[in-house]
Amino acid sequence: MFYEDIEVGEQLPVIEKDPITRVQLVKYAGASGDFNPLHTDEDVGEQAGTGLIAHGMLIMGMAAEGVTTWMPRKNVKKFNVRFQKMTYPGDKIRVEGSILEKKDDHRVVGEVQAVNQDGEVKVKGKFECELPAK
Amino acid sequence: MSDKQQLIGLELEPYHFDVEKGKIKELAMAIGDDNPIYFSEDAAKKEGFEGIPIPLTFLQAIDLWGGYTFDKKVEVLDINPVKVLHGEQEYEIIGDIYAGDHVTVTSKVIDVRVKEGASGGMNLITTENIYTNQHDKKVAIARSTTIERH
Repeated sequence: MFYEDIEVGEQLPVIEKDPITRVQLVKYAGASGDFNPLHTDEDVGEQAGTGLIAHGMLIMGMAAEGVTTWMPRKNVKKFNVRFQKMTYPGDKIRVEGSILEKKDDHRVVGEVQAVNQDGEVKVKGKFECELPAK
Repeated sequence: MSDKQQLIGLELEPYHFDVEKGKIKELAMAIGDDNPIYFSEDAAKKEGFEGIPIPLTFLQAIDLWGGYTFDKKVEVLDINPVKVLHGEQEYEIIGDIYAGDHVTVTSKVIDVRVKEGASGGMNLITTENIYTNQHDKKVAIARSTTIERH
């Protein structure tokens, strides 16, 4: 992947994830260390009035998977997101992205978003990569 | 609602984490990210890494397993745990973090804002974490904004 190959406005290939399962939320809790019961305990979800919700950081992780599928992991220098809406078990996330800007110092800036099956944007963010020149 | 401005500048106690390849694999699998660089040293080396690198969001595992738990952080920042949302997260990657690295993290509150939203007021508390490896090289900065609804 070279700086010269990237075009502003370019749409990046969509990443399709499997529907989120409760088991996946248990796995993510253990892996990340985020044991907020809202993500794994049905009763707590009910009390909170939201039901079980997915970890926002799991969805950011999916968005990061998109970024590091489009660009080599080694070249990624910045990545930031804003959490927009809650994600629930059963939601099927797809990760979309495009190139926003090419900077002078061989850096490219892109946008990324994680969207569910109904088109709701769950996570929206930007990434910046430093790419080698030809 | 207490005045949260006084939190600005508050430093949390530094914490440490030994990055292990099993933990990297566990996080990648939980996300469903099958990029081979997180599973195989050979694949990682082919991409120019010296070892197995961490996924971008692995910094969260360093924070939660090495540092403050959610409950502890809520206590230190004096926020109501049932009113908390994760608003924004930003990562600045300065160097590589690999399986086998020993990472030290310093963390402090850098900003507190009060905002009136559509569904009422909220406090926006931003913390900045700086990650340093065993060679005293600064490798990453994370900025996280926690929303506490009033």
